[in-house]
Amino acid sequence: MDLLLEMFSPEFLLWHAFYASLVIGFVCPLVGVYLVLRRLVFLGVALPQISAAGIAFAFFLHTLGFHLYPHQEEEQFMALTGSVLFAVVALVALVTLERRGRGMVEGRVGLTYAAAGAASILFVAANPYGESTLLSLLRGEVLGVSLSQFWATIGVYGGIAVCILFLQKEFTFVSFDRDTAITLGKNVVAWDLSLYLIIGLAIAFGVMTVGPLLIFGFLVVPPLAARKITRGMWPFSIVASLIGGATALIGFYLSLRWDLPLGPTDVAVACVILALVASAKIILGWLRRA
Amino acid sequence: METPIEMKRARESLIRLINASIGHNGTPVLKGIDLQIARGSFVGLLGPNGCGKSTLLKTIVGILPVLKGRVEFPEDGRPRFGYVPQRDTLDAVYPLTAFEVALMGTYGKLGPLSVVRRAMRERTRQALTDVRAEGLARRLFAELSGGERQRVLIARALAADPECLVLDEPVAGIDQATTEVIMDLAMTLHTSRGMTILMVNHHILSLRGRADEIIWIAEGGVVSGPADVMLSKEKVEEMLVLGGG
Repeated sequence: MDLLLEMFSPEFLLWHAFYASLVIGFVCPLVGVYLVLRRLVFLGVALPQISAAGIAFAFFLHTLGFHLYPHQEEEQFMALTGSVLFAVVALVALVTLERRGRGMVEGRVGLTYAAAGAASILFVAANPYGESTLLSLLRGEVLGVSLSQFWATIGVYGGIAVCILFLQKEFTFVSFDRDTAITLGKNVVAWDLSLYLIIGLAIAFGVMTVGPLLIFGFLVVPPLAARKITRGMWPFSIVASLIGGATALIGFYLSLRWDLPLGPTDVAVACVILALVASAKIILGWLRRA
Repeated sequence: METPIEMKRARESLIRLINASIGHNGTPVLKGIDLQIARGSFVGLLGPNGCGKSTLLKTIVGILPVLKGRVEFPEDGRPRFGYVPQRDTLDAVYPLTAFEVALMGTYGKLGPLSVVRRAMRERTRQALTDVRAEGLARRLFAELSGGERQRVLIARALAADPECLVLDEPVAGIDQATTEVIMDLAMTLHTSRGMTILMVNHHILSLRGRADEIIWIAEGGVVSGPADVMLSKEKVEEMLVLGGG
């Protein structure tokens, strides 16, 4: 209990990391709701990996002497640009190919995942300096979040949450029934691109802060748990977000308490919550029938 | 008793296809279609699976572009369509209530970042009442039966305040009693509100006595005419021989 109180105290040494992971925990499931509903969960595995490849590629270009921002040597900003670009372009390309019904979706996503994983490692290997910095960016070291990175996380994820919540009806409508949305005059291509941009930004920024594994966990597991116990889009989104926040809080506590790596601990906590929710639903169903 | 103005309006063309080729991804399914749908008519669209009935509906409501030729609407502009898609195309993974689904019909008049107003909720409730689905409002759409889902989708189309209701196989896979309920509902909307109805339907019998016009797609071509002629025993046999059903 003392440790839990200490985590919320202003003097807590890791407060940047704690609040950053809480914010990501609350916001990522709001975005992940659409990956689950649009049946893009498999893409959710590949996208963080693609995003990581984007970070490695941005550094690789830097090594070759090509500066994304000639008057700025800020590594985080350069990495973010590569990460967002890769994630959004890959998402748009994969979804477009899927909509046109060409080829095998699983094959394409699997291939992209493998290629992105290999590219990340090769770009890192080709980088003669800053390998440790780059590896920490690719893994996402939330405990090493700086003050500027913390405020950037709050700003980006705050903006994402506002967009997702205010535009929920449009995103839900074009996802659920694209054809009817067109007949009612909605520009479905623009809405799709806006949603993909938000998903890409959430993944790209999250990969740099907490790493690909945790981002995938936050995107997918809380919405899967929330879907089992809610009816209606608002309850679904809000409960998914609360489960994500609770996961981040419990995971951070357990990680500190037993000196465990944060990312895998958070994912394990999310999976336990999902298992508990699923079990409770089954037991309640039995009791109702009895 | 219709006034002369109402009779003239009833004969007015609401939708006209002129030498139109329609299809998906640039590949035509039907070519050179000339077709006219009168305002206030009840039109049944018949034909075998894969002949292009749904493609024709989607082209008319603007989901698919015309590949060649053109689709014309009256001078006062494109009519407001209330589109009822095939219910199996809607994914059951969405945890939407029936009310949320019906409310989507009002989103056409809603700009980005606008909130759903009380009047829109009222209109949705009224639309659900009109199709006798008010009791379904709080239930999950995915958990409703085929007939219940269909009524909710018709309510959504009505919430859009349409001039023309476009229904894509509304009674496919539905038992006879529910088919009659849905067909009567469409007929009531047609007679009481003067609404133009355009319906893809495999049930020839359910169109008898309800539709004014029949469009029959067969052998890559389109044949249309008054329902009493097109649904006569001889004509039905002729069309079935031509591969039209």
